[in-house]
Amino acid sequence: MNPTQILTGERALKAYVLLILLFLALPILIVVPLAFSNDVSLTFPPHGFSLRWFGNILARREFGSAFLNSAMIACISTAIAMVIGILSAIAFVRFQFPGRETLLLLFMTPLIFPAIVFGAAVALMLSPLGLLRSVWGLTLAHTVLIFPYILRTSLATLFEIDKSLHEAAYTLGANRWQTFRYVILPLLRPGLLAGATFSLIISFDEFTVSMFLVGPGLMTLPLEMYNYSEFSLDPTIAAISTVLLVITSIAILIIEKLVGLGKQFS
Amino acid sequence: MAVAIADMTDKIEQRPRARVDLARLTALVALLAPAVALLGIGLVWPFLKMLAISFQDRFPDPTALTFANYATALTDPYFLRITLRTFSLALVVTLITAVLSYPVAWFLARSNSRWKHLVFLAVISPLMVSIIVRTIGWTIILGNEGMINALLVGLGIVTEPLRLMQSFWSVVVGMVHILIPFMVLSIATVLGKIDPGYAEAAAVLGASPVRNFLKITLPLSVQGIASGSVIVFCLTVGAYVTPVMLGRGQVAVLAVTIHEQMVVLVDWPTGAAVATVLTGGTLIVLLLYGLFLRRHSRR
Repeated sequence: MNPTQILTGERALKAYVLLILLFLALPILIVVPLAFSNDVSLTFPPHGFSLRWFGNILARREFGSAFLNSAMIACISTAIAMVIGILSAIAFVRFQFPGRETLLLLFMTPLIFPAIVFGAAVALMLSPLGLLRSVWGLTLAHTVLIFPYILRTSLATLFEIDKSLHEAAYTLGANRWQTFRYVILPLLRPGLLAGATFSLIISFDEFTVSMFLVGPGLMTLPLEMYNYSEFSLDPTIAAISTVLLVITSIAILIIEKLVGLGKQFS
Repeated sequence: MAVAIADMTDKIEQRPRARVDLARLTALVALLAPAVALLGIGLVWPFLKMLAISFQDRFPDPTALTFANYATALTDPYFLRITLRTFSLALVVTLITAVLSYPVAWFLARSNSRWKHLVFLAVISPLMVSIIVRTIGWTIILGNEGMINALLVGLGIVTEPLRLMQSFWSVVVGMVHILIPFMVLSIATVLGKIDPGYAEAAAVLGASPVRNFLKITLPLSVQGIASGSVIVFCLTVGAYVTPVMLGRGQVAVLAVTIHEQMVVLVDWPTGAAVATVLTGGTLIVLLLYGLFLRRHSRR
């Protein structure tokens, strides 16, 4: 292969990558111009300019309460998953025990367990307990779903912390708790914050599992958006999507600043 | 005597160690207990409950245990067709996603372009955008009043808008779009670990670039393709939003059927049996992957 051929090959690869990036970005970004459309339906190209769809979000109370529900469930389940995830990550990093690999694999199962089956199963379990349309049922399901993500980021961060730091802290007279509080936790913080942000997003956007657990009086935002789009496809949905895109972009920036987005996925 | 003393010192030495071991064991159990409890209550119990209900003749208040629900789920032509469609959808989506993702993963693993980090960000950011937002984006592109039809009609290529939604292929497009990031990440991770020296050696020994790729790089990266495929397959099989919103009732898959059986028809035992069949299918794919990994690592 001569240099010109290599150059052509590289250009072709770059052009292809650009094409795939466009494919990935198009359906996401196309929502934004339609949010400012003056049409009454999601028609492309949009005609006129209007902010009334953003006003409609505020006018319809159900979106507000669904947003609050989603935010609350995301916060509680992330907090619980963080505590449980960090504890088990410490166990995996600091201890060698029989069945360690298998247990880790089992802890990761929520990642690939078919969401539709998980949702149905949780509903079947909660229904006789009278917890079907409760915040607690949703929180439990979301905690299970995001637990593997928290575990994975905690593991990755913990593995990077030098073991000699523990020993140094012990030598200098710190007890277990002090070592954790003043040495390990500060080092864990950026990784954990990034993992938490990512978990908040996953919980906030969760649809398939929550579908079985919500009901009249208890809705999450994705479900409310879906229900709305079922009976009217006006730009209100595009407006909410735009708001969510802004929030997501801020979250991505936070993670990127803290540890780099790549860490979340390696 | 000497033996007895040695024995004693052994015992003396052993005793504190045993206590330390006990302390370590307590710590280990305490650290893992919350996670085991969470997954036990939140995942294992619901699944066992579902398994039990799938053998009941009705719910609640069963009168007998029965295999009838499985007979329905596995032999009824209606369910059979939907099962077939679900798994062929997953297969098609997996194949297309793998082919489309490989070059991007290659770029991320091998290129030293200064745009690399930005490309990486652009590939994984969609994962964090609400699935509803992304699917609504596709309805704007594919809908009767959507972008593609506006272009086609505007350019005079067609007079009537084409019906691009409500088809198997619109669901494929939506799923591929959602799953490309997972596949790119899996392949790029493995590609990044391959020593470029192998390919260089082959090139020095006169292998053509095509032969080099087919004989060296591709076989070495198969593991990344395999693990990416398993993730994509499992996520497609369990997907609900995309088939419903882009298929608009025309593309029934198992996820839609399970929801229909349980929520609309309130026939929980049949829904539970269908869900168990879906889980079983996923498990078979995972086992095949495990077998493949074992054989691959032995070579």
